[in-house]
Amino acid sequence: MTLFHFVNCALLTFGPHVVYYSATPLSEYDTIGTCVKAAVVYLVTALVKLVCLATFLKVPENEGFDPYQELMKVLIGFIDVAGLYFALTQLTHRNISQNHKFQAVGLGWAFADSVLHRLAPLWIGARGLEFTWEFIFQGLEANANLVMTLSLAALGSLMWLRKNKPRTLVPTIYVCAFLLATMPSITRFP
Amino acid sequence: MAAPATPEAFSLTYSMFSLLLILFACVELGDAASAVHVYRLIQYDLAGVPLGSRISGLNHHAVSFPVDPDADLSRSALVVPLLDLDLSFLRDYITNKKLLGGLVILLPQKLSSKFGEFGKNVDLSRVKSVLHELEDLLVHSELPYPVYFAYESSTFDNLLGDIRGNNFSTQPATSTNGGYKLVISAPEAKKLSPPTISNFQGWLPGRKDGDSDQLPTIAIVASYDTFGAAPSLSVGSDSNGSGVAALLEIARLFSRLYSNPKTRGKYNLLFGLTSGGPYNYNGTQKWLRSFDQRVREGIDYAICLNSVGTWENDLWMHVSKPPENVYIKEIHEGFSEVAKDMGFSINVKHKKINISNPRVAWEHEQFSRFRVTALTLSGLSAAPEFLQSTGNLHDTRKSVDEKVVVRTVKLVAESLARQIYGHKGKNIDIFADSSSLAVNSHHIRSLLDLLSRTPRVAPFLSKNDPFLAALKKELSDHTVEVHVQNELLDGAFTFYDSTEATLNIYQVAGVTFDFLFLMVLGSYLIVLFSFLVITTRGLDDLINIFRRPTVRKSKSV
Repeated sequence: MTLFHFVNCALLTFGPHVVYYSATPLSEYDTIGTCVKAAVVYLVTALVKLVCLATFLKVPENEGFDPYQELMKVLIGFIDVAGLYFALTQLTHRNISQNHKFQAVGLGWAFADSVLHRLAPLWIGARGLEFTWEFIFQGLEANANLVMTLSLAALGSLMWLRKNKPRTLVPTIYVCAFLLATMPSITRFP
Repeated sequence: MAAPATPEAFSLTYSMFSLLLILFACVELGDAASAVHVYRLIQYDLAGVPLGSRISGLNHHAVSFPVDPDADLSRSALVVPLLDLDLSFLRDYITNKKLLGGLVILLPQKLSSKFGEFGKNVDLSRVKSVLHELEDLLVHSELPYPVYFAYESSTFDNLLGDIRGNNFSTQPATSTNGGYKLVISAPEAKKLSPPTISNFQGWLPGRKDGDSDQLPTIAIVASYDTFGAAPSLSVGSDSNGSGVAALLEIARLFSRLYSNPKTRGKYNLLFGLTSGGPYNYNGTQKWLRSFDQRVREGIDYAICLNSVGTWENDLWMHVSKPPENVYIKEIHEGFSEVAKDMGFSINVKHKKINISNPRVAWEHEQFSRFRVTALTLSGLSAAPEFLQSTGNLHDTRKSVDEKVVVRTVKLVAESLARQIYGHKGKNIDIFADSSSLAVNSHHIRSLLDLLSRTPRVAPFLSKNDPFLAALKKELSDHTVEVHVQNELLDGAFTFYDSTEATLNIYQVAGVTFDFLFLMVLGSYLIVLFSFLVITTRGLDDLINIFRRPTVRKSKSV
């Protein structure tokens, strides 16, 4: 019955991405190419991030709070934003509306993230005999991550692609973008 | 700046990747909630009759008492703490040849020396009697399912608590309602090659006065191997670890006396550590047969030591000649004289040997069959049955008191010395407690500790086992002409390997849960889909999605 459990968990982890793609107009306008491109950008970004983490971060010897190290972590976290910026602005897509573009980029981004971070543990772990809630939680996390990435992409598209922004909302957008980008660093400290 | 950093970065990335790989490997290896060391019931054939646990692999759901008497347990593994085990239930299963998926018996931690004094408070005498009965039952019956012993632990406490809480007893756990799954992935047990038995002998030669011909010999013998329900737990601290420890201490004491020509006695001392004790003292028989006729006839008498670690006030002297026999009387007098000084009594128990009966209950009976006067000193008052009192599960270090062994050593050594040096009847304390010849209780304690750590079931002790090497070394430290005799065990015994295994306990979810989860998941995805369609394209589109196929169908028709 463990394969069953694996299928369930895989559905929970990757199902929403597929549903999002097929339910929204993304599928009608054939934006799969954009999604794939965003996924490739994500992979490159992840590699760069990994190299940066390995280069600039020391292995913490004690559990103390080191401001320099934390700052480095946040800065490295911003590589994600840089990657998103690249995906949103530099990639040339076929005539795709701004509205669909950010959704496609966000979706590809989140899907690549799920595949990279969750597929292997799922394949190894969820097929074992032992039952844990871990993989169900992981699936839920993937759902939350999809929402977060889409919001981040939406904000990015607001900041970088839209020309006529309402004046009063600009600071709010930037604060939101900053909060979202630093979310991984924030959630590490409960 | 960046250029020198790159190789370092790459090596770091590489190490991170390998770390991840190792992590995944660990995840795969250790995915069981807990892995417990378990010990299998012995599996052997006696004259072609299969006995013991016949299967080693286990893969079933755990159940525990109380179980429904009519329930079919052939696909469940029964986990029972020893004291909760209903022996009549088990007996019923064995006699009616009813099948169990498997049986895991939990022994109280107190039995094990590993856990120290931390075990729960249990009544040890009750444990002992239950274990005695259980072992007798298990060893002499055929169980066509895996039977394992394990020590109680918090893991099992949790498991039993959960099983009882869920009350699977009314409705046995199957794959539909979850519970715990016990998995032992052991290969099928293979037949072992015919067991070798190694007998050790060492001499302390006496002083010859000029022309004298052969000196008389006194032999001191103990059998060192064990047989128990679980070969890996059969350490036999009392039977017969205590005898071996006593023998080695006696050898040490006399080696000190015999090292000085002035105090060398007019007797040769022969020390023998024999194997095959549980199997009618087969090793003793082989050992005696290997002796030259003259040497055998030179043996004045032999003292066999057996289970001398637990007696309190009465030590038994088992003989096969009637107690009125002059030799026996003399030896008994020698012992009781010393015993009286030490404040206990020696009782003689006579048991005739029946040559036609293959059962040899005491080691001295093998000597008697070769017409050598012999006796067994033992704390046991009655002769044990076949494969009984030979290293049972309860016979661990804690059951043996080294002070008792010290007393035995003193008794034997003192009475021997009085005879050797002709001080019979005189009140002389040769091995007085504070003298340089005092019995060394530290030596005995360390020997007992070693013996209690080492399972010594002969088929699982190879010729080159470190324990046998240690035994030989210890004997050759005190005696000369140490000789090892390797023989094959007689009798129709066939043993099987795979005595230990690792039990993996998985907490599993039932199929029902998975179905329920799938349904919840399906409705979540459908709701999400509908929500997204409605918000991005409107309700009409959603309805159209479901309408379209019917339209197509009507077209095709």
